[in-house]
Amino acid sequence: MSCPFEANVLRAAHDDEWSDSVRRHLLECDDCVAAAAVAPWMARFAKIGDREHSLPDPQIVWLKAKVLQGTVDAARVARPMTIVQLFAYLVVAGGWAAILTWKWDAVTTWLRGFTPTGLVQNVALGGDSMSLWFFAFVFILSSTTVMLAMHTIMAEE
Amino acid sequence: MTTMFAAGLTLPAPPVTDARTRGGNPRPMDEGRFEAFYRRNAGSLWSYLFRMTGDQAVADDLLQKTFFRFLRANPTLATEEHQRRWLFRTATNLAMDHFRETKRERGHVELSDESGPSMEPREVLRHDMMKTFSELKPRERALLWLAHVEEADHEDIGEALGVKTNSVKVLLFRARRKLGELLTKKGLAPEVRR
Repeated sequence: MSCPFEANVLRAAHDDEWSDSVRRHLLECDDCVAAAAVAPWMARFAKIGDREHSLPDPQIVWLKAKVLQGTVDAARVARPMTIVQLFAYLVVAGGWAAILTWKWDAVTTWLRGFTPTGLVQNVALGGDSMSLWFFAFVFILSSTTVMLAMHTIMAEE
Repeated sequence: MTTMFAAGLTLPAPPVTDARTRGGNPRPMDEGRFEAFYRRNAGSLWSYLFRMTGDQAVADDLLQKTFFRFLRANPTLATEEHQRRWLFRTATNLAMDHFRETKRERGHVELSDESGPSMEPREVLRHDMMKTFSELKPRERALLWLAHVEEADHEDIGEALGVKTNSVKVLLFRARRKLGELLTKKGLAPEVRR
């Protein structure tokens, strides 16, 4: 309460019965004047019928809360796996970016070797070959990419 | 520390904890207890949310969200009165979030000025009252409703609105004065016998 006398003032406003002590108090307390000015209106406002339909059923609210809780729990349990998965995406994407940047010239030369002109040149002159390490690295990266893609698809399902 | 809320009872306020901070839940809320608790409190909470937002669908939505949060937090509070305070505090936060999200600081400004010729007198009265209340800011609406209808004390109101208890007195006075001015402007103000 703003003022210790406020309860009496609100009661007087509600009942529209103003005792001398309340009237005397109102002469010196702006808080109570403001309270008394709106109290009857607020009381009427609280009583006007407002609900045109029934409230949501408590059983439905309970069930929805349980479903939502299940979703939250599942997300919490899956969070470490999601973090690992994100890390794996980053590693794979970084790996491919690194390999293409680092060996771009060798890769383009190697790919050009599969064109008809390139094949003839390889037979005639003996083409440059890529290192075994490079192919091993590509093989590992490809396997990881496929595994990750499969895991993502299965997790979605 | 004592609290007074709705029923007018003065009770010692226990420490408020929830399932995340306490060691165990001595009395988890089962479906039956929840249903009884919901039936006792949902009506008044819905009225509060509807007066705050002016939209029945939004009030329904916020009511459910409040109870979802209640069940998720599973607050261990000594009495139902404290649980009720928790509900009103959470509902106020959700309503304020709603206003922030919709960027409608005045809430349901879409209420039309015209009452409509087909409306019954009771509906006209309701419409006019809602329109008047909607002209207040959401925080002012919450202050007035909690103080006058829920009969919450300043500490509870401050907690619900996230303001200091000392500030509630000033804010409540301003909200009352503003509503009083609106009522005077519309010729609805009661005569205060000074």
